[in-house]
Amino acid sequence: MIKDIINDLSSGNLSPEDYVRRSFERIERVEGRVRAFITLRKEEEVLNDVKASLRGKGKLSGVLIAIKDNISTNGIRTTCASKMLEDYVPPYDATVIRRLKEEGAVILGKTNMDEFAMGSTTETSYFGPTRNPWDLTRTPGGSSGGSASAIAAGFVEIALGSDTGGSIRTPASFTSIFGLKPSYGTVSRYGLVAYANSLEQIGPMARNGEDLALLFSIIAGPDDRDATTIDYAPQGGAINIPVKGVRVGILTDLLEASDKAVSSTITGFVDKMVSEGAIAEETKLGLVDYVLPTYYIIAMSEASSNLARYDGVRYGYNSLVEGNWREVYSKNRGEGFGREVKRRILLGSVYPECWLLRAILH
Amino acid sequence: MKVSVDEELVRKLESLALISLSPEERREIVKDLSRILDFFNKIDEINLEDVEPMFHPLSQGRLRKDQPRDPLPRDEAIKNAKKKKDGYIIGPSTTGG
Repeated sequence: MIKDIINDLSSGNLSPEDYVRRSFERIERVEGRVRAFITLRKEEEVLNDVKASLRGKGKLSGVLIAIKDNISTNGIRTTCASKMLEDYVPPYDATVIRRLKEEGAVILGKTNMDEFAMGSTTETSYFGPTRNPWDLTRTPGGSSGGSASAIAAGFVEIALGSDTGGSIRTPASFTSIFGLKPSYGTVSRYGLVAYANSLEQIGPMARNGEDLALLFSIIAGPDDRDATTIDYAPQGGAINIPVKGVRVGILTDLLEASDKAVSSTITGFVDKMVSEGAIAEETKLGLVDYVLPTYYIIAMSEASSNLARYDGVRYGYNSLVEGNWREVYSKNRGEGFGREVKRRILLGSVYPECWLLRAILH
Repeated sequence: MKVSVDEELVRKLESLALISLSPEERREIVKDLSRILDFFNKIDEINLEDVEPMFHPLSQGRLRKDQPRDPLPRDEAIKNAKKKKDGYIIGPSTTGG
């Protein structure tokens, strides 16, 4: 747990050298097969940052963290797992990164993902897929699969991901760690490379609930640089909530649509909560068959508009062809984006307005 | 709503989205598109006559004071551009096309 690492580091039980070496040793041993990182910082730089950080008294002093590669980090390339941004180095930090640095966290590296977060398996990455450390023949889920695998493989205790339609929750589940998609507006999106901006949130990933709550409390809160943030500041801690008397809603239409193994795991967990005094009540979400098409229409329409900025001129992949702007942009975008990204941009351009309106109504 | 999917539609989308596809990619997209559009047609089944549109998950935004902040230094701001000269980014020709 983070608490123990901080105690050990500050009391001298654990030297910064040993702490950083332990992480890199693990990476040298298994990263070749897991491939959680797109960019891994040099051990020496990381160690220097950890030592410098230990002179301060932050909530994460000296603690290593992995960051999904669609969150802007000043001076560390941020690729979105795309050829389009293969050598893009942001000149500023996302708000969540600034807050982490203020609390002393040290970035170990930038993690793999589906290209521009468009996928749920981490396979559409330009840099190749990430594997699940529990079983290398399987996917860790996605799109925050690199962050999930970095935790599951023991490289770090905590990481940031982002979630538009399951991109933190799915990999957290597939790799048996903890992940949270925060309610919209609780975490600033300033510096998160936009995909579907009315749906996505940056969120914490960790090996246990306490670390998850701590990380969430650091990244959450209103931000002048994101007009969609709300006044909410979680305190962290207090995660041992007794379930006695707590009402739990069971969504039967989702359970019925699940694989047997999944539904029986959930039912087993509900039984356990009931045996400890929780009150379980069945209910229906309704309209579940319409959720996915609705999500896709909103996400792709927004993607089509958000990804219009990649022309290869101001930054990003440039084919260096000569010609007028239409030819140059079309070539840069045609060569710089991967197949899934192009598919979603094109689909997002197809909807007549009334479709988008219907999706919003829904 | 039925949209007929053929190569002509995909070429139109390429021109709208400013993405040029290879012939092979174009053939693949033609195949994908009609399948996905059928899937989207599902929402036509629902009657939404009396439903208010929700344009954004939050009803109000947070606006900061309209005061200028220090911009990025010029060289920092253009360091990711591939073609530049004397502190300017060189863009493609804007005539024609």
